Amino acid sequence: MSNQASAATETIDLLLEHYLALLDEYTTLRGTLNTVQADIFHSLARANFSAERGIRYYGQDYYDERMQAIRRIQIGPKDGKAEAEAEGKGDTDPGANRPVFTVRTYPPSASGSEPDTVSRTSDGSGSGTESKEAEKSVPDADAKSGGVNPSATDDSSGSVDEKQKKEQGQEKGEEPGPTSEEEQKPRPKDKPTDPLRWFGILTPLALRQAQGHAIKAVEEIIPRLATLNVEMAAIEVEVRRARKRRAKAEKAEEKRVAELADQMGHVDVSA
Amino acid sequence: MASQADFRDRQFLAVIGDEDSVTGLLLAGIGHVTPPPDNQKNFLVVDAKTDNATIEATFERFTTERKDIGIVLINQHIADRIRHRIDTYTQAFPSILEIPSKDHPYDPEKDSVLRRVRRLFGE
Repeated sequence: MSNQASAATETIDLLLEHYLALLDEYTTLRGTLNTVQADIFHSLARANFSAERGIRYYGQDYYDERMQAIRRIQIGPKDGKAEAEAEGKGDTDPGANRPVFTVRTYPPSASGSEPDTVSRTSDGSGSGTESKEAEKSVPDADAKSGGVNPSATDDSSGSVDEKQKKEQGQEKGEEPGPTSEEEQKPRPKDKPTDPLRWFGILTPLALRQAQGHAIKAVEEIIPRLATLNVEMAAIEVEVRRARKRRAKAEKAEEKRVAELADQMGHVDVSA
Repeated sequence: MASQADFRDRQFLAVIGDEDSVTGLLLAGIGHVTPPPDNQKNFLVVDAKTDNATIEATFERFTTERKDIGIVLINQHIADRIRHRIDTYTQAFPSILEIPSKDHPYDPEKDSVLRRVRRLFGE
């Protein structure tokens, strides 16, 4: 066998070794997905069995027609760094260019601090600090802000006071303080609702368990299976190419041997 | 190899399946309806009355027309009904995954990935 053919065989062996490892992972994950899917169906069946009166079947009749995905795919290079992908700084390893599927919750930032800050501005202490700032900035406001107790229960006077403070801030062209900025911010958009809420407020435990199993399938198993699928398909292409190269090298080798034999025959005749 | 531009905007999972399979997966929060006037769903509930043409058209829409779908999940018994389309599908994106359903357990013999494996090893 020629050097080229043996090198191609070696490459094929390496690729097949990797391919079989991926196949093993694929079949294992398939088994896990089957178990998780069975758990989902079991939980759904239990939920339907224990459904409250009025609920016929936990199914498409209750789907929200304006649903928004709260779990979305992110497809990136193998190392999973979106920045590197954007700048085209891939690894030198050819396998690094193969896409990897990951499932992320959407919207990406939970922004748990936002509601806190909003609530902080609406409480008494927040308006107290604002009134102090207003005192410093505009003397006219002294009487009003000084007169109004931060802990006053009169809502209307408080709101008028806040409006005036905003106007004062705008007139002065000062950079608004963190609290006023938060006030000016539009209210956070309505987050996509939890699909469990489509089926009512008090959903049975079994339905929540079904959701838990489904999240496991969607977040852990399905993206990995999709990644393996793409990776295996890429290796299949590489193996076929390597086999073609090997066949070509073998053909060339056979041709060369035949030519040599021909030449040797001529030598015999002339001798 | 698909370029990165091919998959950058692909962010949704799509499902073609029976009611329980779709409900289960939608509970995980993958369901999405595009804003009006399109109102395109990323799922199809297949029942006894759904014909093959509808399934095929939906599969076509998810795989060819829509550029925002990264993975298409399809029940294996439904994939059997459009097997010719599944087996001739060669695009890298979206990725197709066959999943079991309540009444039809997963059969490795029919799995398109394992069929590809057999083809590679010359069987």
